[in-house]
Amino acid sequence: MRFLRFKRVILYILLIFFVIVTLLPLWAGIMTAFKTEADLIYTTPLEPPSSPTTEPLEKTFIIMQRPLQNSLIFTSVATILSCFLGSIAGYTLTKIKFKGSNTVFLGLIIGIFIPYQAVLVPLVMTMVSWGLYNTVWGLILTHTVYGIPICTLLFRSFYVGIPDSLINAAKTDGAGTWIIYRRIILPLSLMPFVVASVFQFTNIWNDFLFGLVLSRGTEAMPASVALANLKGGFVAMWNLQMAGTLWYTLPALIVYLILGKYLIKGFMTGAVKG
Amino acid sequence: MKRKRISRKIFTKDRIIIQFIFLISVLLVGYFVYIGIGWNVVVSLSDWEGLVPSYNIVGFDQYIKLLGDPIFFTSLMNNILLMLIFVPCTLFLGLFLAILLDQKVRKESVFRTIYLLPFTLSFVVTGFLWRWMYNPSMGVINTLLETIGLELLKSGWITDPNMAMFCVIISLIWQFAGYAMLIFLAGIRSIPESHIMAAEVDGASGFQLYKRVIIPQIKASTFTAFVILMVFALKAFDFIYILTGGGPAGWATEILPLTMYKETFAMTHFAYGSTIATVLFLLVMAIVIPYLYSTYRRK
Repeated sequence: MRFLRFKRVILYILLIFFVIVTLLPLWAGIMTAFKTEADLIYTTPLEPPSSPTTEPLEKTFIIMQRPLQNSLIFTSVATILSCFLGSIAGYTLTKIKFKGSNTVFLGLIIGIFIPYQAVLVPLVMTMVSWGLYNTVWGLILTHTVYGIPICTLLFRSFYVGIPDSLINAAKTDGAGTWIIYRRIILPLSLMPFVVASVFQFTNIWNDFLFGLVLSRGTEAMPASVALANLKGGFVAMWNLQMAGTLWYTLPALIVYLILGKYLIKGFMTGAVKG
Repeated sequence: MKRKRISRKIFTKDRIIIQFIFLISVLLVGYFVYIGIGWNVVVSLSDWEGLVPSYNIVGFDQYIKLLGDPIFFTSLMNNILLMLIFVPCTLFLGLFLAILLDQKVRKESVFRTIYLLPFTLSFVVTGFLWRWMYNPSMGVINTLLETIGLELLKSGWITDPNMAMFCVIISLIWQFAGYAMLIFLAGIRSIPESHIMAAEVDGASGFQLYKRVIIPQIKASTFTAFVILMVFALKAFDFIYILTGGGPAGWATEILPLTMYKETFAMTHFAYGSTIATVLFLLVMAIVIPYLYSTYRRK
């Protein structure tokens, strides 16, 4: 019994050790974001600020405000659009049988895995010629398109579980595919919609590459790119760099802390990052 | 009665709505993924340099140039290094964390949420946090070592060409271990309780129980996590772009996606950049296609 308790103590020591390692960079970042320039020199990064200040947050907010707004707009719209298109695709691929539907499904989900570098030049060329380069609309379109594959996968894996008999019963009542979607599928889709939208929101919010190649100047610049630019703008001013980081990460962090269990469900359904 | 008639009336229009929306998705993905990849290959066969597009096809010149480019091989080696060190270490640590959490831990969901947290952060955020961690003059790690009297271990970290790649790998393990843990934990939890109980009756416990019973049964989770991490090891871009930009010493932490980006968008060598992108695409597909085949073959 005593030996067992000793083992439990070791277990919790290990678990807490990993918690500390996991949170250490975040702790240092948050502490630094509230420091004055003097504190930056006279306290170590892990020490709390001796005279906490919100000045770095105020200074960086002026720079980050517009990019944060841009990110919020294109992330929200692209999340809604990609979830809607993914839901229709998932429904079509599971409940409306057609020849080659499996091939179309595989063809769609390969889009989850491709390295975006392989489509980057054509993407930029297309956006320039469609007049969408450096616009929020261009980012909405890009994130919607590259979100369709993962959303299709998420919705399909959920719709597979809806019994066909339910659909067939509605069909014999004379309902068409749209009516079935609206009256039967959609009311049952709350869960996959929450999972897919939390997943997509996080993914699109965290994106850097598309924002980097599709925006120039502040009109459409995402928060991720604005933050990356702080690196050159505030060399060695770590309090400002960390304050900017805090602004950018806050919305995604809040979503994770409130809706984390849905995000976890999304990861479980063959989810990917990067 | 009335309702039936209405739905029959709109039946044809009704069918078209869903198919029309589905078609939009297929066309968008078809254009931006498949046409895009084909277009990229065409660019890689051209002589396009500078901001004015040129589709003058010159064949495999760019691919031959690739074979004589030391930066390409440095990048490829670093990608391979990620696959050889980052992937197994992340899997191992993830499995270890999953086993720890499987011990009927109190507040399990709190631990799980914390361990997964780094994975939900943007690479730009973690890149900034780790730049601060590794900063040699005032950064977190060196000042911490000073505080606890281990000044001997102080180092240049990401400014030291010999260490930089390992710093990158350690940070990425930090970010992905929680994700691997999640996949393994789900795998462990999906094993029927009866299997574990049967093994316990047979006298298996602790380490033996995991080695003999549980680990062999989570092959599918291991495979999924392995493929996703391998693909990431090839695709990683944002994190290294922020942390080191591919340096120090020019290319110490350079990887293929970064080389592609620099060649294309910084130096406007569009044809050459597209060539690197095509090679990268083929490498990723060499991993993904067997995975998709084995996963969806039966369905």
